[in-house]
Amino acid sequence: MPIFESTEKMYEILGGLFQLLADDPEVGPKANEENINIRFIINDPDGEIWLLHGDPKPVVVTGECDAKPDIEMWISGDDCHAFWLQKLSLPVALAKKKVKAKGPMAKVLGLLPLLKPAYENYPKICEREGLPTDV
Amino acid sequence: MPYLDLNLNLTKEQEMTRKTVHEFARDVLRPASLELDKLDPEDVIAKDSIFWKVFKQGYEIGLHKILIPEIYGGGGFSPLEVHMLFEEISWGSIDFMIAFGVACFPAFLSSMVPNDYLVNTFILPFCEDKEAKIIGCWAITEPDHGSDTLAPFTAQFSLPECAGSCRARLEGDEWVINGTKAAWVSCGTVATHAAVYLTIEPEMGMAGGGICIVPLDLPGVSRGKPLNKLGQRALNQGEIYFDDVRVPKENMLVEQDSYEALLDITLSTANACMGAFFTGVARACYEEALEYCKQRIQGGKPLIEHQLVRYKLFHMFKLVEACRYFSRAVMEFNFNTNPPYTQYSIASKVFCTQAAFEVANEAVQLCGGYGLSKESTVEKLFRDARAGLIEDGSNDFLALVAGEALVGGE
Repeated sequence: MPIFESTEKMYEILGGLFQLLADDPEVGPKANEENINIRFIINDPDGEIWLLHGDPKPVVVTGECDAKPDIEMWISGDDCHAFWLQKLSLPVALAKKKVKAKGPMAKVLGLLPLLKPAYENYPKICEREGLPTDV
Repeated sequence: MPYLDLNLNLTKEQEMTRKTVHEFARDVLRPASLELDKLDPEDVIAKDSIFWKVFKQGYEIGLHKILIPEIYGGGGFSPLEVHMLFEEISWGSIDFMIAFGVACFPAFLSSMVPNDYLVNTFILPFCEDKEAKIIGCWAITEPDHGSDTLAPFTAQFSLPECAGSCRARLEGDEWVINGTKAAWVSCGTVATHAAVYLTIEPEMGMAGGGICIVPLDLPGVSRGKPLNKLGQRALNQGEIYFDDVRVPKENMLVEQDSYEALLDITLSTANACMGAFFTGVARACYEEALEYCKQRIQGGKPLIEHQLVRYKLFHMFKLVEACRYFSRAVMEFNFNTNPPYTQYSIASKVFCTQAAFEVANEAVQLCGGYGLSKESTVEKLFRDARAGLIEDGSNDFLALVAGEALVGGE
């Protein structure tokens, strides 16, 4: 049984988390500096989330989008959940083939230090939504 | 001499950067490499050796951090730019290219699996270093394990009888390391830090490994004598011994659950780089031969005017061009793809090193007696190219590893 019961629920929770990062006055502009579009292709449940370069802040899109991705990442919904709980290291997941990626990964790895606000908020969101945190 | 780049989309900045690095390779690296080639290995790294001056100059212009992401103060170059720069440096000196390459290895690996401790204590200081005070090395081979250390995801890699002998065990918050790394550790004699590929769980064979960043000034670390070898003599190599060396837990980048996967990425990256390096070596050999053939008179006219010589030079030119565009394509693809298609990186390494050796051999042949003499540059390049068929995995063994991936449908 996947952590996210439906694609819609996943969009609501993970899409909201990305939006929080995009709205952050420090993170948003720094993410924009990279000038990249990232497409997350998620399975179980199936869906996609985009983080697009935007003006004045990044734009989050859930579902299909016509934009051209600079980086594409394939990941399961459960692994997304584990990642935001800081129980899955992205570099290690990449190395272990749990996450597949195409595009300049150095840019993605460079964004990792910016994710703190989302890391801090995600356990609270899980508590509110009744999602397990002992994965 | 400049070459015609078949990439129509290069920017002026990219061409300028390449020109700057080429001039450094021509004016600094090549002459120093030729001078160091004549020395005993102990003298290459003696306090007053030109090696140190040149290495420092390389750090000043950032040659040690070409592969490191920009966020840590690294070069932040695209794979295409990395390839262009590596070709130029190797054109000047494959010995110094590999030395700069391994110097960055521990920081490069750490940047792939970063933790706050290593970022602050190691990666950032490495990128800020302009005096070659922090030098890395890649310590993987052992006295009884060579190319077989580079076969992740093959059947033999998990056999307990194939386990490595340099071991690590966890005691509290520290890893305790015991064992020996081979005489072939590039920069092993001069490095301040090593990315040590260790065995943690011998029952898993070589797959039960870990990768640890080890400061080489810790108690229990000692070094062997510099290796006396055929080619790439400015690149110092030597054993490293570990006797109950205690390393903070945070320095272990990956343990046995992820070892094979990160080794696969290591192999893919290193072999893709070797393709770029030996494109530079092949080009250096071709250009040396071409210049000689313009000057040397035989049968009453310059060699270049003889039909067979032109035929040979064309064959050499063709190989250099094939090396460049194949190894560039592989680097651009595999540096942008995770997990990488390692068989392509291996194909690039094997093809380019074989081509470089073939071009070097022809260059010596065209230069005749001069090509055999210690006064000629091609004599050194020939020896340098020969080493490429063995270093970073012998070509025969690598072909078997890639072959297994092909039939396994990886």
